[in-house]
Amino acid sequence: MNPLMAVLHVEVLKLRKGKLLWAVLAAFTFAPLMGGFFMFVLKNPEFAKTAGLLGAKARIAGEASWPAYFSLLAQIIAVGGLIVFGFVASWIFGREYTDRTIKDLLALPYHRGVLVAAKFLAVMATTGLLSLYVTGLGMVIGWGIGLAGWSQSVLQNGLAAIVITALLTISLSAPVAFFACWGRGYLAPLGFVVLMVVFSQIIAAVGYGAYFPWSIPALYSGVAGEGYDLKAINIFIVLAASLAGGAGTWAWWLYADQY
Amino acid sequence: MKKLIEIAGLSKNYKGLQAVGNLTLSVGKGEIYGFIGLNGSGKTTTIRMLLGMIKPTSGTCFIHGEKVSLRNHAIWKKVGYMVETPHAYPELTVRENLHAFRRLRLISDPEVVDNVINRLKLKPYADKKAKNLSLGNAQRLGIAKALLHKPEILILDEPVNGLDPAGIVEIREFLRELAFDEGVAIFISSHLLTEIAKIATKVGIIHQGRLVQEVESARLHLLLNRRLVIGAHEKEGVLEAMASAGFVSSLNRDGFIETYDAKAIQRPDDIARFLVYQGFAPTQLAVEEEDLETYFLRIIGQKGEGGL
Repeated sequence: MNPLMAVLHVEVLKLRKGKLLWAVLAAFTFAPLMGGFFMFVLKNPEFAKTAGLLGAKARIAGEASWPAYFSLLAQIIAVGGLIVFGFVASWIFGREYTDRTIKDLLALPYHRGVLVAAKFLAVMATTGLLSLYVTGLGMVIGWGIGLAGWSQSVLQNGLAAIVITALLTISLSAPVAFFACWGRGYLAPLGFVVLMVVFSQIIAAVGYGAYFPWSIPALYSGVAGEGYDLKAINIFIVLAASLAGGAGTWAWWLYADQY
Repeated sequence: MKKLIEIAGLSKNYKGLQAVGNLTLSVGKGEIYGFIGLNGSGKTTTIRMLLGMIKPTSGTCFIHGEKVSLRNHAIWKKVGYMVETPHAYPELTVRENLHAFRRLRLISDPEVVDNVINRLKLKPYADKKAKNLSLGNAQRLGIAKALLHKPEILILDEPVNGLDPAGIVEIREFLRELAFDEGVAIFISSHLLTEIAKIATKVGIIHQGRLVQEVESARLHLLLNRRLVIGAHEKEGVLEAMASAGFVSSLNRDGFIETYDAKAIQRPDDIARFLVYQGFAPTQLAVEEEDLETYFLRIIGQKGEGGL
């Protein structure tokens, strides 16, 4: 039996049996539904007003088109993902401390790094699948609404933006994992996630979002209302934060005293 | 006897505080080593160092003659362990938890789970979620996880905590069987000397991080204090008569005269005859032996010398 596959199997079992997966699925079901609702209202403003879906004087900016909707889905992943993916990483790493099962994992007949790698793979797979789910569900909703502006190139560009945003956001789960280990539970990583969401807003507002790892995915997804061309430095900053988190987590499992 | 567990000069300091100091001990094949100490005496820290979870400040641990280190992970193949209160994944059932650990232990045969469930009498709870288990059954699950891979070395931290009296007897017999019939080396920590003395072949007492005594269980009773307790109507007269015969004796808190004189303890009949001749016929005469808990407290200095 391959150790990595064995540990991964156990991680999947824990995810499958835990409540976290259902909670994040619910959050990521609600988000594209809301996005679809906005698109529907934009497409049918008069119907929305007469049906009482929208206040008589309310106005929503934007246009109901596939490019706008793909951008909205990317924003859901960028902003929602910071929180939801953070929850996933907190749970996968922090639960061993909260449930006090960490000690059962520290003297197994293979390198401890295998456990860290399997946990990171579980985070990546879960968050990757969640991104895929948001995109898939969003596209079904988009077709249901009958959005305008569909073309092969719109699809390619839209999906590329979503994939890049998802990869950037998923990368930022690694520092959360470190805080879950360092804080031995959920509290520290969740606090860290909330803090980073707040910082990302403030730092982006003052114009330095392109240099703050947690602002970059949202900036790229078009949350500021205009497109942002990702530069090498932005990718480097996100990867550096991710690598620091990954290395910290690795070192913690391997070298920290585990009480 | 082949040493399967060896701890040599092990110490651990936390921020200037010594949790474990210069600890040396060993456990051979088929031996049960009872590691006794109060809460906070350094038992769990020692076990965590032995399992490579905490780095010692100094000293070394060996499993099967191989040094415990991060790189030397192959040594854990033959080691089963349970540290502190057993915990399991709460949302998984007993069976699922054991299958999860079977995979983590790289065991491909799923039958080992049913075998260990039967052996630990967990069958009625096999499909119960771990979060709904009583402490006693959680303890059984913890031991079951430690035994899944049929280890040659078993390290158990307070394994009978939370078990009812029948459960304690059952686990005791089970551990005996593992050690004496299957040759497993067992290192077991507890704060209950009486309980451990019933199964351990050797007992080590740890206090404030130091091994204050190590003794073969068979020799343990030789170390227990014994005294001769005398009941009499005229206590002053008995005390004077005993003193005149050279026996140091005193009046204890319960109103009895007691002596720790070896000759008196060995020949209580002589003392009875002597007191009768002196006109102080005893109303009670008994040789009493210190119980193990009192002995333990005496050794670690928690109770006055000679107290029973």
